[in-house]
Amino acid sequence: MSTEQLPDVPPVAALDELAIEGEAAKGTPAATTGIPGRERGERIRTAIAYIVMFGVAILFAIPFLWSVSTSFKPIEETVAGFSLLPKHWTLSGYHEAFHTFNFGRYTLNSAIIAGAITVSNLFLASLGGYAFARLKFPGREVLFLLVLGTLMIPDQLRLVPIYLMLVNWIPGWVGHIGWHDASFVNRNGVILIQLISAASLFLMRQYFLTIPRDLEEAAKLDGAGYFKTYRKVMLPLAGPALAAVAILTFQGAWNGLFWPAILLQDKSQYTIPIGIANFRFAYTTLWPPLMAASVLAIVPILLLFIVFQRYFVAGVAAAGVKG
Amino acid sequence: MAVAVAKRRKARGLGNERIREALVGYGFIALPMAFFLLFFFVPVIYAVYISRYDWQIFKGPFVGWGNYRKLYHDTVFWHHAVRNTLVYAAFVVPLQIALGLALAVVVNQAIRFRTFFRAAFYFPSLAASAAIASIATYILASDGLFNTILNHLGYHHNNAWFTQETTALPSIIGLNAWTTSGTMMLFYLAALQAIPVDVYEAAAIDGAGAWRTFWKVTFPLLKPAHFFVLVVSIIGALQMFDQSFLIGGASGGPNYSTMTVVLYLYNQSIKNISFGYGAAIGVVLFAFIFTVTLIQRLLFGKPEVA
Repeated sequence: MSTEQLPDVPPVAALDELAIEGEAAKGTPAATTGIPGRERGERIRTAIAYIVMFGVAILFAIPFLWSVSTSFKPIEETVAGFSLLPKHWTLSGYHEAFHTFNFGRYTLNSAIIAGAITVSNLFLASLGGYAFARLKFPGREVLFLLVLGTLMIPDQLRLVPIYLMLVNWIPGWVGHIGWHDASFVNRNGVILIQLISAASLFLMRQYFLTIPRDLEEAAKLDGAGYFKTYRKVMLPLAGPALAAVAILTFQGAWNGLFWPAILLQDKSQYTIPIGIANFRFAYTTLWPPLMAASVLAIVPILLLFIVFQRYFVAGVAAAGVKG
Repeated sequence: MAVAVAKRRKARGLGNERIREALVGYGFIALPMAFFLLFFFVPVIYAVYISRYDWQIFKGPFVGWGNYRKLYHDTVFWHHAVRNTLVYAAFVVPLQIALGLALAVVVNQAIRFRTFFRAAFYFPSLAASAAIASIATYILASDGLFNTILNHLGYHHNNAWFTQETTALPSIIGLNAWTTSGTMMLFYLAALQAIPVDVYEAAAIDGAGAWRTFWKVTFPLLKPAHFFVLVVSIIGALQMFDQSFLIGGASGGPNYSTMTVVLYLYNQSIKNISFGYGAAIGVVLFAFIFTVTLIQRLLFGKPEVA
């Protein structure tokens, strides 16, 4: 394993989680040791832990279950009376959300934005991560520190300058290369400013550092160029890191509120979160369609989470650094 | 072996190859670096520049520190935005840390379904804030689930929690302590798993009970994690935007009771189109967050989770 001189980096618990693969799910056993006469105490403790955990898990699940239940209720049942489950199950909440309140369109917009940002992050972060991990060039460490430095710059500070750049600078620049009357106070802008994140680049670079060099050397002896080595040798080996970047980026972009709230002004480009924010103020108490829209926002991430839990856990450090 | 190959190559003096490698390296990082330069470092400088002008829709005259002076005398900013943000942070930070630590300790027990529990506790941190805020609005509505339960228990409360000036911010605090506790749990879990088992064995041999072991052994050993979690939590709290925006709207209603610093920044920049003033608020917030981080770094070194 090659451990190059790493600059001062954020916590890498994330990487351990990825590297251990399935091991992470098991974790380390806590203080259970075979001291005589302690079994009963242990058993009581375990029982209490179970009860507490089931209790808290149910408490945590109630809001979600309640929203799912409400999304299948006819509107009358949310106005008068009270029942845990719908008395008459209906899809009218979803029907209204999709057809009357345009959430079909918003879902598509969310998918387009999150998809584009994810693909771009995968490509740019893996290419850049490969270069930072493997290629030698003057200034590499300093440049990488600059990348990590971006994690210290909060979105709020960037709000006004980026807004003005998207309004004034960028359309002028792309006009020079023949893209006239371009606007970036819309979906294009939301995608453009999230094409790559330092967290993605960091994750890819750290993972590439753990890959043994032998395979690359072999490829090099076969006369493969750098890009071919990256594409044919490194990328196929970086599956777990690519998956983590894809999942974390998609989740962040799908849930994103801040930049879409600033840049999406045309209703036809709203994402689900912006659609929900808008809906809440316009139709305060139409609960079934609002809950249906909320379920729509949550379910894709829930499915991703169930299938790829490990990768979400892996990204928590990188995300945490950003706060 | 890699080192040997590299050395041999160096010895042979393949200068061209090294130049080629460097050029390819620059080529591969060109796009990402251009991006970071344009959308992170340029905006920092540009923000300071904008903040020195009376910049409404169009760039106006240079006003020096005018926007900062205006901010200094802005009562809505200090009496509502800053005050609410500090109150929010003062309550949500200890709450989410305590909850996160408690969950981590419970989930760290060697029992079955721990993966499931960890997932169940972490998921609220991952769900879209917009969806969570809507669900919370529904549950905390005047005739919502929460008031229904309260009424059954004999506490009569018939107001919507988010629309009352006195209960709006506390409700958001409760909501976010819940959703963020899962993230804090994961930070603590990583640190808990790094504590060697023999430490606990020693405590058990000394006859220490579970409660005593936690306070005397586990809690002090988690010191690096405490500091890390504290800073992440404080910075996150100072940047609170989503829930206020979703629940109180851009004006932080009712009557500014959910107005935060970042929401005020959004409100001034995007709603009022006062870019110069908005940029000044951003610079002040950045300076404050940066100071918090710097103090932490100086006092406790670089953050460490595991």
